[in-house]
Amino acid sequence: MNRGSSSTTPTTSTMRVMNAKRAAAIWLALAVVALVVLMASLALGSVALPPGRVLAALMPSSSAHGGSADLTAEIVRTLRLPRALAGFACGALLALAGALLQVLLRNPLAEPYVLGVSGGAATFALVAMIAGGAWWIVDASAFAGAFVSILLVLGLARRELWRGEPQDTSPRLLLTGAVIAAGWGALITLLLNLAPDNRLRGMLFWLTGDLNGGAMPWTALAVLAVALLAIVPAAPRLNVLLRGDAAAQALGVAVVPLRLRVYLVASLAAAAAVTTAGTIGFVGLVVPHMLRLAFGNDQRMLLPAAALGGGVAVMGADLIARTAIAPAQLPVGVITSIIGVPVFLWMLLHRRR
Amino acid sequence: MMKAHDASHAALSAQRLTLRAGTRTLLEAFTHTFYEGELWCVAGPNGAGKTTLLATLAGLLQPSAGQVELDGVRLADWQPLPLAQRRALMPQSAADAFSASVLDIVMLNRFPHLTGWGWEREADRDAAHAALELLGLAAFATRDVLSLSGGERQRVALAAVLCQDAPLLLLDEPLSHLDLHHQIDCLEALGGWAHEPGRTVLFSCHDLNLARRFATHALLLDGDGGAYAGPVHDVLTPALTSRAFGYPLILIRDGEHEALIPAPR
Repeated sequence: MNRGSSSTTPTTSTMRVMNAKRAAAIWLALAVVALVVLMASLALGSVALPPGRVLAALMPSSSAHGGSADLTAEIVRTLRLPRALAGFACGALLALAGALLQVLLRNPLAEPYVLGVSGGAATFALVAMIAGGAWWIVDASAFAGAFVSILLVLGLARRELWRGEPQDTSPRLLLTGAVIAAGWGALITLLLNLAPDNRLRGMLFWLTGDLNGGAMPWTALAVLAVALLAIVPAAPRLNVLLRGDAAAQALGVAVVPLRLRVYLVASLAAAAAVTTAGTIGFVGLVVPHMLRLAFGNDQRMLLPAAALGGGVAVMGADLIARTAIAPAQLPVGVITSIIGVPVFLWMLLHRRR
Repeated sequence: MMKAHDASHAALSAQRLTLRAGTRTLLEAFTHTFYEGELWCVAGPNGAGKTTLLATLAGLLQPSAGQVELDGVRLADWQPLPLAQRRALMPQSAADAFSASVLDIVMLNRFPHLTGWGWEREADRDAAHAALELLGLAAFATRDVLSLSGGERQRVALAAVLCQDAPLLLLDEPLSHLDLHHQIDCLEALGGWAHEPGRTVLFSCHDLNLARRFATHALLLDGDGGAYAGPVHDVLTPALTSRAFGYPLILIRDGEHEALIPAPR
């Protein structure tokens, strides 16, 4: 009777039904991986430390010891721990922002870096730096740049900002994002040429994602907590939203406020990540995609999992970046892009129509 | 509290409903009540306002004038979730962007029934399997939606609204992309479904002969503000359909079979 289905029956690799127990197991596994990578980040580096020394350094009492223990604690607490946590927070924010933009735009290729959001944040930050603004003005400008950039892409790529069109999966959106990213790139080059020499070094920080700037993780971690609290309770509604606006509304979802919430949380997450570590590309694309391939596209599972997975990815990439050709350190954005570009191209070329 | 499941009031009623699109009037002061047990076909030429009418009856669009009441309560006064448990709307098909199993997609329509942290229970899974079973899609449960043909996707969408378990079904072109065999299967399934107490189905459709055979009632829009509502054989007549579609149609008979066909020029 089903003529069309007799030949091949492609199934996704994740036909097991998602439920709360399975989701919790996935989160737990990712959290364990995150802890392992965190320990490795604290232990490895120019001075390699055994795990016992790392743990001892984290204990509040360790400062009582003198001599080398003090130095160890210093390295772990003031250098490696903030850097690892900043990496985790930025990765988590970027992956969360990517997953949310993919829902908002109903396009699996949407991502803050690809859509020019990071470029917008960097451009605004550079302008503030040239103007000689204080650090918080620079950070606020980066936030504004991220919001403006997402708004530009949304506004240009669709006729009605808040109406999901069935053609959302078309390449039009990606083209718009890529062109806007190119525009930001040109502005950045212009600003670098105009900038006074003494400001150049700080400005270069924005152009390749780098956790080497003594980035403090606390703002990013706080934003991560706020973003997760704001969006995870809405995850069942996001699943419905993926079916299209009319279907979601018919199922009792208030579409416009939900879209607004997704937009705000995604922009906030992307902006906080860029403000902390500059432009780190492709995390928001690769991490949600890998998790989707492995476990399916249920947003209730995916959003927290993307945060954990993104944290692991950037923390791990930064570990590679600062140990691969030690003592020289690479910017972490180089590592994520080297991995991300081929994955993006593979996804683009293997999309099912 | 609303009298959502008070059977004595269980009805959808349009009161002096007026729908406009730009400067055109699609429907002018239309008043009618749809009762339980009825299977309605909404027919009319392209652009006559079938989709607009169904979306308005579902509460997704505001009418230009007049109002719609469900169980004696204005649609605007319904809370979103109780409304989604009372009526289901199947919009015209939208493409899926992400891989997902057919079962997961169908189960999304259990959203109005979810409680707590929003995870499905065994009953929701059973409802999804039952809906797939009803439309002969049981073997499709683990298929990836992105691998489905247009007709298969359409049947999955129909299974999804059925598993929403709402007594009022509003279906926008549920038969599009289906071959004749599956059109008849789906209409038979809908006819059986509408037989349960309290249930009403409205579907838009272009096949007048299938409508005459399976629907109990018909609503014919002429695209110019006029509408004819009543038992299907009183509405889908050669005279009224010829007027609405702007092309002469004649009724031919062969024994007990009848068909509306376009008259030769």
